[in-house]
Amino acid sequence: MLTLSDVKKSFGAHEVIKGISFQVEKGESFGLLGPNGAGKSTLISMICGLIPNGEGEIRVNGKLVSKHRKETQQMIGVVPQDIALYPTMSALDNLMFWGKMYGLSGKKAKDRAKEVLEIVGLTERGKDRVETFSGGMKRRINIGAALMHEPQLLIMDEPTVGIDPQSRSHILETVKSLNEQGLTVIYTSHYMEEVEFLCKRIAIIDEGKLLISGTKKDLNNRLAGGIVLKLTVGSLHPSFIEQVKKLNGVEKVIVQQAEEIDVHLQSKMESVADVILLASQSGVVIHNMHLKEANLETLFLQLTGRSLRE
Amino acid sequence: MKSLLIAVKDAKIHLKDRKAILMMILMPILLTVILGSALKGVMGGGSMPKTVLGVYSPESNAMTEVIIRALGEDGLAIIVERAESEKQLLDWMEEREVHVGLLLPDEWDPDTERAIILRTTGQETAATLIRQMIETFGQMSQAIANSTTTVMAEAAALSSDGSTVDMEAIQQELTTAIEKVMNEQRTYVSEPAHEESVSSMQYYAAAMAAMFLLFNAMAGGKSFHQEKRSETLSRLMMTPTSVRSILTGKLIGAFLFAWIQFLIFMGATHFLLKVDWGPSILQTLFITFFYIFSVAGLAMVVAAFTTNEKMADIVGTMGVQVMALLGGSMLPLTLFPEVIRKIAKLTPNSWALTSYTSIMTGTSWSALWLPAGVLLGIGVISIFISSIRLGRRIA
Ligand SMILES: Nc1ncnc2c1ncn2[C@@H]1O[C@H](COP(=O)(O)OP(=O)(O)OP(=O)(O)O)[C@@H](O)[C@H]1O
Ligand SMILES: [Mg+2]
Repeated sequence: MLTLSDVKKSFGAHEVIKGISFQVEKGESFGLLGPNGAGKSTLISMICGLIPNGEGEIRVNGKLVSKHRKETQQMIGVVPQDIALYPTMSALDNLMFWGKMYGLSGKKAKDRAKEVLEIVGLTERGKDRVETFSGGMKRRINIGAALMHEPQLLIMDEPTVGIDPQSRSHILETVKSLNEQGLTVIYTSHYMEEVEFLCKRIAIIDEGKLLISGTKKDLNNRLAGGIVLKLTVGSLHPSFIEQVKKLNGVEKVIVQQAEEIDVHLQSKMESVADVILLASQSGVVIHNMHLKEANLETLFLQLTGRSLRE
Repeated sequence: MKSLLIAVKDAKIHLKDRKAILMMILMPILLTVILGSALKGVMGGGSMPKTVLGVYSPESNAMTEVIIRALGEDGLAIIVERAESEKQLLDWMEEREVHVGLLLPDEWDPDTERAIILRTTGQETAATLIRQMIETFGQMSQAIANSTTTVMAEAAALSSDGSTVDMEAIQQELTTAIEKVMNEQRTYVSEPAHEESVSSMQYYAAAMAAMFLLFNAMAGGKSFHQEKRSETLSRLMMTPTSVRSILTGKLIGAFLFAWIQFLIFMGATHFLLKVDWGPSILQTLFITFFYIFSVAGLAMVVAAFTTNEKMADIVGTMGVQVMALLGGSMLPLTLFPEVIRKIAKLTPNSWALTSYTSIMTGTSWSALWLPAGVLLGIGVISIFISSIRLGRRIA
């Protein structure tokens, strides 16, 4: 369905995408995970023919985007990161306009717009101006506009940014069921829970590079340690952290805030006891502690030493 | 086809914008009423025995040239003789070759500097008259400038923030400004001879049409930036549509709205204000077609050479102001000196305005070829230059 091979992109002297390759099969749900500025939106803009790609090749259904721009664009439905709708027009008019821009005839556009309103759960609000909608409702119409022409590939760029949990779960459920009906989905986010919920395969990118990609299982197998010990301490001596790092079974220590540290452990429970013992020996008071299973977020931490969300 | 979709969408959005409707449709009708009726007296003719006026001005600047021209206007019963020096003027007075002498000081400005008026015995009335004319001239340029600023400030406020228009306040301000002039008005400035048959209402209907259609240039430019800022332009470019179709669509959109605006304005002035647009509606529509084409071109220039809505607003408002003034939408062109009248030929609205007024008094089709050609040229050049730049900028 979609193939990227060694795609690069620079803005002036700034290289934003540094050679990314991956493949998305028909019917798949593919997650693109990465922190702010990783290059997710830039990648999507290139796939959708908004900006030309530098080096490398992007193919949609075997067709080069750079050569067959209109054809490949017709196959893709894209949900931009920002709400790209006309605020003074009604939801229905917006949907119909975007449908017609993909070649739908007047009658077809109207029928389809009603279907799409149904899909995003806003049938009763169809005649209202988009500017009167809540953030979550705008997001849903923003997605709806991408569904109008029944694309083969749906690309979503952080479609849930800044909305209430209810709208968010509605959107996630909708996308999941669309995917189950056979639509290929590429989902971009820096919320790992969303990507874990939706996507079979996941790629993590950072600073324009693909760090790792594979199924959820592949990625879990790559996790360096099984457990994260989260500590909230009274006061912190730098020497304490150095000592913890030297303990047996400790993978990595990350200071989140002044009093909060994450200690990544290989799944041995003894190491937990060692850390606590060391704390009491060096006079560090522990206010709070709990254990967490490692997940994609921890994987990102392990790969980059930084957290996914600042 | 895709262009048409974008154009219709743009025109719809514009028509839904209540502020735009107030600004683009109600305002010109209102101003036509106010200016047209207020300046009726000024533009109405009057006759009196010829007075010979001797003028000496040590230097010639725009202001002195305007007033000397105005005094020498065909319709006035004044013959103007220019003296080479102050002494020559005094000699003329001595020999009674002139009835009244006028000495304009260095760097004369009607607001601050008084002109010296010399009178020969028995010519007191003529001298008083000329003094009044000069004073009124100053006040009038002041009043017109004030009302322009008011309208423009309101227009700018309208398009930039969400406040509603206080039509009453604008009307009040304009009327007081003009009334002030009228009260002190005992002048005999009469209409220029060749436009004698156009009433002040007709003149200002044409003038306001020419001026307010220009605002489409600003609105079109802004709509482009709006589309860019709200990410809908990016979204449009991710649909299977070429950049050229998108730009064409925006152009046709501006064109479409301008037509709606003009037709409503023409209808309203015709039916409500009883303005006679002349014997040939076809000629009026013909010129309007080319005028709107050139304005749509200017809209693209505004879009291409500004970087955001605010800048488009400022540049657009200033542009409209200057062009409206130069193009005769504020004061009849005949009151301006030759140089300015030549410069005015660069503005599309002056071509539209002179065409409208000549159509009102009846003109031949062949006389309209030149203005139509010029307007077409302005449009083509604007579109050419700006599409190169825009194409480069959004690609
Ligand atoms: N048009 C542009 N000109 C110059 N630099 C750009 C441009 N677009 C993006 N960049 C840069 O490219 C990098 C990647 O940006 P991009 O928007 O793709 O990140 P992202 O992964 O989508 O981030 P976010 O999660 O914040 O949306 C950033 O450093 C950004 O500053
Ligand atoms: Mg992004």
